Amino acid sequence: MALHDGKLRNSKVWLIGVLLIAGLLVPIFVQDSYLRHLFIISFVYGIVAASWDLSLGYAGIFNFAHVAFFGVGVYATGLTAKLLGIDPWAAMLIGGVAASAAAAIVALPVVRLQGVYVVLVTFAFSQLVMQLVINQSNLTGGTQGMVRVPTIWLPGYNFLRDYKLGYYYVALGLLVITTVCLRWLVRSDFGLSIRALRDNEDYAVSRGIPIAWQRLKALVASAFFTGLAGGFYVVYLRVASPEVFDFSTVSLILSMVLVGGTSSIYGPLFAALFLTFISEGLASINNFAEGRFMLVALAMIVVLLFFPKGLASALPAILAKNANQKRSRQPVTASADQALMTSTDKENEAEAASHSGVR
Amino acid sequence: MITSDILSAILVSGIVLGSGYALMASGLSLVWTTLGIFNFAHGVLMTLGAYIAWTVSDAAGLNFGLGLAIAVSAAIMIGAGILIERVIVRPFYDHRDILLVTVMTTLAAMIFMQKGIQLIWGARLKQLAPIATGNVQIWQTTISAQEALIIVVAPLLLGALWLFLDRSRTGRGIRAVGQNPDAARLIGIDVSRLFIITFALSAVLAGLTGVLLGSIRLLTPEFGSEPLVKALIIVIFGGLGSLGGTVVAAYLMGLLEAALVFFVGIYWAPSMIFLLLILVLLIRPQGLLGKVVR
Repeated sequence: MALHDGKLRNSKVWLIGVLLIAGLLVPIFVQDSYLRHLFIISFVYGIVAASWDLSLGYAGIFNFAHVAFFGVGVYATGLTAKLLGIDPWAAMLIGGVAASAAAAIVALPVVRLQGVYVVLVTFAFSQLVMQLVINQSNLTGGTQGMVRVPTIWLPGYNFLRDYKLGYYYVALGLLVITTVCLRWLVRSDFGLSIRALRDNEDYAVSRGIPIAWQRLKALVASAFFTGLAGGFYVVYLRVASPEVFDFSTVSLILSMVLVGGTSSIYGPLFAALFLTFISEGLASINNFAEGRFMLVALAMIVVLLFFPKGLASALPAILAKNANQKRSRQPVTASADQALMTSTDKENEAEAASHSGVR
Repeated sequence: MITSDILSAILVSGIVLGSGYALMASGLSLVWTTLGIFNFAHGVLMTLGAYIAWTVSDAAGLNFGLGLAIAVSAAIMIGAGILIERVIVRPFYDHRDILLVTVMTTLAAMIFMQKGIQLIWGARLKQLAPIATGNVQIWQTTISAQEALIIVVAPLLLGALWLFLDRSRTGRGIRAVGQNPDAARLIGIDVSRLFIITFALSAVLAGLTGVLLGSIRLLTPEFGSEPLVKALIIVIFGGLGSLGGTVVAAYLMGLLEAALVFFVGIYWAPSMIFLLLILVLLIRPQGLLGKVVR
């Protein structure tokens, strides 16, 4: 078992390394500006979806304000860069901090609430931010959106030329940093404690985990990355629109988290890359702007109905099952169990154990 | 400072707002108390009801009148309610996180229907013909007859809903299921049938709300979003535990909103309401009027 785990981890490291190099090499093969744009947008969504996984998946907080935190980042960066003339690089950071601050405000009531009230407060918060943005139209441009946001710069390099090459690497860099930080967070003691709170709140609290404090930290941390992504999004597109707060944006990103499967960080990330291309591809079909959201909604329902652990989770189970069938004919249930156990990493093992516990 | 005509204006517009909110929130609360599910598609059901009524009464020169329109709309709403329950709620009754999962599925249903409405009817603004025409003066404020009609119809509908839940066999069954589904099943109540009835009833309430509001507001595919968000806030204020609490909270919210719009202006009213909401929740996490629920 231990040997197998080691092997698995090794192959995982290899896989990630290969993907990273592929990510670095993409712009060499992809010269087309629109395709590069799709990659950049998909990296942004990847950050949003993966960081949502921290609060929704790992901490189990029914947080539906995550996309609003993204919007807070978008507007905080846009406003400070455009109106206050702050350097766009610094403004991106301000976007992250502003999103964290918004998360702290939401956390104030949310960490003490249960179940549906968390959903309601976070949704209400999203709508409130949208109302504020629309109403303060002399600052934010209202429903028309904010235009001509200054963009990031480097000495001797113009980001607006070069077919988005610079933006591509900034986005990839942000994605890698976010992923490393998120993986580190969820594997730290902190990550363990928020999962304990999710799986068995009473027991975790009785073992001395401060529930409100840990949940606050989870919300603030996950909001920071999404706010940063929002900051980059606005300096890249150079426009901001209140559409980011729309229910359809929420459902698009939520579908990425669900398709990828919660509590893995990588799952939502890759689902985001994958779904962005599909969804943008569909959007370019004539008169299909509504249709693509309908498909996204359908996909969400199908995934929840048939692949509750995410579409990606179905893959290793199927592969392992086939391998097992080839190897020997063990009793069906046992082999299926074993297949599941060996195909997932140690972390999911712990999770499975805690799920089967009393709740 | 507050003269009687200002007070009258605030009260009357507050009650108009509150009536709409009460109709909207009661449907949500009904589903919540019975099934423990928060239906995000409730707002879009309202939109759908109004669009169907518009199609029957206005479009294609059919001109059958609003009576038939309302009937057709209500009938389709029953179907929509049953469909939602069957397809995206029922499969999850035994799920560990039924609440979270159904929030997601009903959210998906909401997007699906909203975009579907946009595909079918287009984004162009529409308006239902008012059921009542002319103006009515209440105290010192003049409002349209349609708004007066809403003030009258809302309590009637809510009263009928209360009578149904309190007196009829089916209604009592619904309440029994809400209190304890296992015990209800043990004494021979057909729980799954009552779940369907509850969903259909709530959908009809949403559709009727849409028809009533569809002539004082403009119909867009996002017509139901704003009332849904208000209903969210109302059920947080009122607590989800009881229909009565929700209705009272809805009227209070209407009055509060009218007063805030007057004193701080329409731009800041939503933020003030949200601030109040956070304060209320910090002091009473179970809602202003609510009891502790699941």
